[in-house]
Amino acid sequence: MPDMESAAAAPVRIAGVDERVLAEREERVSSHRRDVLFDVENLRVSYAGVPALKDVSLEIYKNFITAFIGPSGCGKSTFIRCFNRMNDLIPTAAVEGTIRYHGADLYGPEVDPVEVRKRIGMVFQKPNPFPKSIYDNVAFGPRVLGWKKNLDERVERALRQAALWDEVKKRLKASAYSLSGGQQQRLCIARCLAVEPDVLLMDEPASALDPISTTAIEDLMHELKRDYTIVIVTHNMQQAARVADMTAFFSVDVDEEHDRRTGILVEYDTTPTIFTQPSDKRCEDYVTGRFG
Amino acid sequence: MSVPADTLARSSQGDRIRGTAFYALLLVSITIGFLLLGVLLVDVVRKGIGYVDPTLLGEPNSSDPNEAGAGPAIRGTIYMMLLLLVMVVPLGVGTALYLEEYANRDRWYNRLLEINIQNLAAVPSIVYGILGLAFIVRGIGLGRVLLAGAVILTLLVLPTVIVASREAIRAVPDSIRQGAYALGATQWQVVWRQVLPAAIPGIATGSILALARAIGETAPLLLVGALTFVSVNPTLLGSFTALPVQIYQWIGRPQEDFRLLAAAGIIVLLAILLTMNAFAIWLRNRYQRRW
Amino acid sequence: MRVTFQEELDQLEATLQEEGELVLRALRGSLNALAQQDVELADEVIAFDDEVDDHYLGIEEGIQSLLARQTPVAVDLRLVLAVLHVNLHLERMADYCVTIAKLTKLVHDSPADETLMEAFEEMGGRAEQMIRVALDSFAERDLESAETLPELDELIDRANRRVVGHVLSLGSDQEKLEWGLRMIVVSRCLERIGDHAVDIGEQTAYFVTGEFREFTDASH
Repeated sequence: MPDMESAAAAPVRIAGVDERVLAEREERVSSHRRDVLFDVENLRVSYAGVPALKDVSLEIYKNFITAFIGPSGCGKSTFIRCFNRMNDLIPTAAVEGTIRYHGADLYGPEVDPVEVRKRIGMVFQKPNPFPKSIYDNVAFGPRVLGWKKNLDERVERALRQAALWDEVKKRLKASAYSLSGGQQQRLCIARCLAVEPDVLLMDEPASALDPISTTAIEDLMHELKRDYTIVIVTHNMQQAARVADMTAFFSVDVDEEHDRRTGILVEYDTTPTIFTQPSDKRCEDYVTGRFG
Repeated sequence: MSVPADTLARSSQGDRIRGTAFYALLLVSITIGFLLLGVLLVDVVRKGIGYVDPTLLGEPNSSDPNEAGAGPAIRGTIYMMLLLLVMVVPLGVGTALYLEEYANRDRWYNRLLEINIQNLAAVPSIVYGILGLAFIVRGIGLGRVLLAGAVILTLLVLPTVIVASREAIRAVPDSIRQGAYALGATQWQVVWRQVLPAAIPGIATGSILALARAIGETAPLLLVGALTFVSVNPTLLGSFTALPVQIYQWIGRPQEDFRLLAAAGIIVLLAILLTMNAFAIWLRNRYQRRW
Repeated sequence: MRVTFQEELDQLEATLQEEGELVLRALRGSLNALAQQDVELADEVIAFDDEVDDHYLGIEEGIQSLLARQTPVAVDLRLVLAVLHVNLHLERMADYCVTIAKLTKLVHDSPADETLMEAFEEMGGRAEQMIRVALDSFAERDLESAETLPELDELIDRANRRVVGHVLSLGSDQEKLEWGLRMIVVSRCLERIGDHAVDIGEQTAYFVTGEFREFTDASH
């Protein structure tokens, strides 16, 4: 186009924007393939014979942040605990169906739950640092795994990844309880990262924290998803909207006859879709706050 | 709209009287308790303080009150405490760990175990003495030796140690265990590296208090063969005596001086007890976790 | 903090400025086609509108997603709403360029009137200047600069009012009249482009001050 090109566009000038950053993000978004890491099929979890969650099927993608949202009692915490077999610790819990991790069934007969938990880490709602020093907290994982060498480096690396190193490097021997709530939660994240897992499961990681700590944790998640796959349960919809690439909405199926409330998966899609044009009315009612 | 002042005034006069009366009652109870204890202590100290000297602490018993001492008895008590420590703590803590961390509550044998332990704590100490005589002194033929005494006392205070340890272990929040499991630790690693270390202050306090109770036990020791006239220092498989027994023996003597000697012995015993209890309380305050 | 959110906002603005550049190119193209009565160039301008529409839709989608997911408040919300409106104005301006191109094609073989052509070059040049001022003052958050836009619009408005009179003076030749009538529409397009530029200035003012207000201009 002769004249159109000669009136060539002047370079784009925006106050304060780094063009390199925009280009990189553009490239990341357009080349984002979906690699399946977990394949869940017809999962059902019961406690003492009473089903708490049923008929759940979905895929979790690698290096994505996936959020589970829904009203209380919909089984999202129960669901996330299936991924690292923490439900095994509850004697009355029974899990049916399959969860494939890298193609292999997590609940297969040959599978050792301890090995599973080494690869799939978990951060809990209320920060739960051990009653030990900051160093010993982070070093606990490597120590139980038998990684005795280079402990100092492992601890430093984990603390850096959790964006906590600068704040604690001068007082690694101090008690973990001397940290603030937000710092304790980052310590718990560092503790997980020290065993070099594939996946980070987070059960309402910021619900016990103040807004600034919450934002810090969310920023951290964005950083971490480059190297890890993250699954989070949250009752804060806005958090899921801000942070997650994929969102799964769970709800409660009420069986009046038997007086049973069972959790079910209602809708699972990309986050923008869930929050702009969900397909299921129940999902729309929930995200617009009209639920209940 | 203002609230008239009189609606804020106390409505019932009777209520105030009841409150004051109750408070007064509490004060009276405390006073009686302290008064009794005070009277006993003062009496003992007045009688015995004159006889508290190196002779008392070092010399063996004798028929002459001026030369009699409780040396072997004190040594016997101390050795028994040490033996007790070595035997009751592993047994008690081990049982507590099993019941809290490993046992499946639904199983009948575990429930039976729990009930038994709670009952054992209520058994009178003389019964332990009889059992010890029958099974340990005569049954397995150990004889009337220090070790037998220590074993009896172990059984006596074992329920207390188990209960105290269970409390300490239960006090460790489940979130700590969950966190450790989530990192890929086995049950053994979780218990050994997280639960037990966190429970140690509570276990230590409970154990010391249990020991302090054992120190004063006389009846079972008598049955198991603590002699009242021992002139040599006790050995593991030799004849022995203990401080409470020695005091008991002195009181039974006709001479007035021996009674004063007994009072002196009581002072020593009380001193040991107080030290142990104070240590336990200090331990608890210093290391207690605020979860 | 909220790095990803900030990046998204920046991305949105960058795309908006890009769209602005495209509009300028479309305007220059349509003006040149008009002056040279070049049908081929006019066709290119019409086809070029697809690129503007792509940007427009991309920004619309981006805003929808941003509002749903990030719940922006305060200055962020004002920015998003301002971008939403500026996006609409830019898209309308591009459509007017297409209209001018279509009209150029329609009467390309009719003789053009020199005076009117010169007037259009002047109006077009002023419109280009206004778009540039509007885009720059938005990027720089420059309220003062944005407030000069109504004055700049003066020239275009006056020229537009004179066009009707001038067309009437062209005579009674059928072809010339038809040409003249079409040119009135072209003039209207340029006048509307100027108005949209002023509207962009108002969005800058809203973003900076938080007040919803219209710039007072000579026509009120």
